[in-house]
Amino acid sequence: MSSEPIERRVSYIGDRLRGSRCTLCGKEYFRGKDYCGKCGRKSFGKMKDIDFFYEKGKLEVCTLIGEPTNKFVKLGPYVYGIVSFQNGKVRVPGRLTDFIPKDGELDLSCFEDREVVPRFRRRYAVTRSDIVPTISLAFTLADDYYPHQEYEIIKPKKEYDTPGIVGYGVYVSKFRIKEGMIERSVPFLDEDAVTAAVEAGKMALIHSGVDHSLIGKVYVGSESNPYAVKPIASKVAQVLKLGMEEKTDGIQSVDAIDTEFACKAATSMFKDAASLVYYPHARTPYTMTVGTDNSQAAPRDELGGELDLYVGYGGSAFIFGMHDVIAELEGWYSCTSDTPDFWRRDREPYPRHGGRFTGEPAYFKHVLNACRKLMEQLNLKSSDVDYFVSHQPNIGFPVRVAQELGFKEDQYMPGLQVAKFGNTYSSSSPIGLAAILDRAKPNERIIIVSYGSGAGSDAYSLLTTSQIKDKRQRQKFTIKHQIKNEHLEYVDYTTYRRLKHGL
Amino acid sequence: MKRRRPAIIGVGRTKFGEHYERGPEKLVEEAGLQALDSAGVKRKDLDACYFSDYFLQITNKIGIEEGFQSELLELNVPMERMRSFSSALLNACHAVQSGKYGIVLVGGVEKMTDRWDKIRDDLMLLEDPWSYYAGCTPEANHELLLRGYIKKYGISGEELEKFNTALAQISVKNHHHAIENEYAQYQRDISVDKVLKERSKACKPLGLYDFAPISDGASALILARPEIAKNCSDTPVRVLGSSSATDYVTFPSREDRTSFVASTIAMKSALKMADIEAGNIQIAELYDQSTLLEMISLEDLGFSKKGKAWLDIYNSCKEYQGFYEINGKKLFVNRNGGLKADGNPLGATGGAQIFEVVKQLRGEAGSRQVEMDGDPPRFGCISELEGFGTKAYVHILGRT
Repeated sequence: MSSEPIERRVSYIGDRLRGSRCTLCGKEYFRGKDYCGKCGRKSFGKMKDIDFFYEKGKLEVCTLIGEPTNKFVKLGPYVYGIVSFQNGKVRVPGRLTDFIPKDGELDLSCFEDREVVPRFRRRYAVTRSDIVPTISLAFTLADDYYPHQEYEIIKPKKEYDTPGIVGYGVYVSKFRIKEGMIERSVPFLDEDAVTAAVEAGKMALIHSGVDHSLIGKVYVGSESNPYAVKPIASKVAQVLKLGMEEKTDGIQSVDAIDTEFACKAATSMFKDAASLVYYPHARTPYTMTVGTDNSQAAPRDELGGELDLYVGYGGSAFIFGMHDVIAELEGWYSCTSDTPDFWRRDREPYPRHGGRFTGEPAYFKHVLNACRKLMEQLNLKSSDVDYFVSHQPNIGFPVRVAQELGFKEDQYMPGLQVAKFGNTYSSSSPIGLAAILDRAKPNERIIIVSYGSGAGSDAYSLLTTSQIKDKRQRQKFTIKHQIKNEHLEYVDYTTYRRLKHGL
Repeated sequence: MKRRRPAIIGVGRTKFGEHYERGPEKLVEEAGLQALDSAGVKRKDLDACYFSDYFLQITNKIGIEEGFQSELLELNVPMERMRSFSSALLNACHAVQSGKYGIVLVGGVEKMTDRWDKIRDDLMLLEDPWSYYAGCTPEANHELLLRGYIKKYGISGEELEKFNTALAQISVKNHHHAIENEYAQYQRDISVDKVLKERSKACKPLGLYDFAPISDGASALILARPEIAKNCSDTPVRVLGSSSATDYVTFPSREDRTSFVASTIAMKSALKMADIEAGNIQIAELYDQSTLLEMISLEDLGFSKKGKAWLDIYNSCKEYQGFYEINGKKLFVNRNGGLKADGNPLGATGGAQIFEVVKQLRGEAGSRQVEMDGDPPRFGCISELEGFGTKAYVHILGRT
């Protein structure tokens, strides 16, 4: 059994790789230190908090771990070694993740002296009742799928009249399964909804250039939280250091909340996030919404196993604010009915769904209703809209809905990503939105309509600004990059189930 | 101080290996009785006891070993428990040298196989927790040191082949030595090919035959003030130097990751105490938790030049004559089979190393007795580590 105080302390330091720097001599340490051994007593009070969360390291030496210790057995075999930061100023132990060694000879020297990026992951396997242990002493090669990106805080230039999206990020894992027309993203063993949420949030911070301490609220929508009781949002807030941190007690001035409404858990909060930054007395310059899922499905031959053909894995994050907006929130419309088309009872491992009832009385009714009402409200014709994206449980549903609403291929195809990632549940329509934002020009109108089983839809209209082009250079991990990449690794069905099941 | 150098007047040990039927008390009793008998002293003559074990708390739910021993010995004398045998001996030496005690029992025991399924996790207690959290194993740091060493000294191509062979030869040599040691866990020969094959099977720089095994066992010795020793034994062996040093527990944080600075410091200070030089040492029991550590120890303790120990080993093992020849001098190393073949029941390991050197210096090592110009060796040294070079102990023993 893990101990809560130890988990708190280890993840506080380890998730962000926190350390200290002596301001007198520049010596750096992994883990906080009250004084510098070189400068002695005079360095008390002169140690500065640093962390290596956004740094790039170098794998100095490594070895293959074929027989890990008990909690690491599921992760093995893996490569383990010493990673140095800042040209050897600091060295930490680390495990290479997102890597499945092949049988036979392994040349360790091909990994040594390569640049690596720290990754926030699960630490090792624990029993299902334990706290989920996490750490960022997991690394991937910087020239592999996941590029290193610097996080630079940029002073905003312009305040807008309407709140909107100021930055966004999407994280989809490196592993894929390809069956027929559809490719789907597969988490690595140490990934889950929490790690994808943090990754997406990290990308959004990098893209927006927003100061992490100015984010006043974070909403994390998911239906695959590894906990029945305990928020994901608190972890996202801590790892991304959202809000001002009071160092003495490790508390951050940020509100963090988990939301749940099947696949619209994240989109539902767009309007709340935008409203909060607009409210003059809230003193919340920025808010972040995250959608994240290791989309759940029973194995193919079990009840509910039909979902197993479509489920993906990924996260998306959008930062809302009034400054340097890339897409203004023009309007929204949400609708709800108590339609039980998809559900998972407490303590059940996998969801079930209502078969043929998931289409007509569920998906189509809500999506069409929300979109039509929004367009009515804003007095829009389909030709006034440049891009349309809706929830994507498969390829057929979103195409049919787009056509019924009068949208043409060039309007709905750019946002249709289900064939590349699978149904990423609460990130499904947001990933489509991100794909559009990746390519949209200034002054274009985007309509996004989500759908959450249970059931309801949120429709939003967004208008891009000139800043969308300016910020694009700060986003290396684009949807295009994540779709088409020489480093993608395709796995078979058995491996897919093993990876998806995780630690 | 030289006058008051304590003497080892008796040694004892059990066979190392798996003792399925016997608990720790039976093992420590056997080793302790043997030590008392060989010293010719009685249980009631003991002024104090120093014990060592790493994991008795975990493996056998024994939290206060001193109380357990008090009950076993039916004594109420002062007792202290340390981690390694060398640490217990070092502290016993301090006490005897200070004049506080006259006769002291030093004993070590470990019962690792009682927790076979979890012992590798327990061994991670000897590393820093962050390495553990990152996926380190008890073997990993050995391999990282090896990779670092190769890179630092630019060993490649044919040289690298020789280097790898030299490490395999260490294992082969130690197994060969153990054949003559009736207490050893493995009394059988292995081949260089076998060592290399295990490495390539595992895709790793070190394989199954490079690492010391998991063992049970106990060892003991009786330490006495020199004037008492004179009455007990005709051939007392004196502890001439006894020293230790420490280093960061976090291996990646250390400045030099291709050697153990703690070993070098401990050896220097032990030699100074003994008032001899490394070149005077004729027999050494080195801490070969892995073959690599025997090699590194040769450098750290000042026998071989930095970056060259593997070459000394390779050249000595081409036609092995029972010793390493380093700088034209004979050095007998791990004549009991080392940790590799003799066994490595952590808390008792150092006792077996000392047992061997005492027996050799006294000329009582039987078929494995080594000789320098027809005589038993005069000076021997024992190096023991706690953790991966985190603590280093060096003892120098001598016939006087």
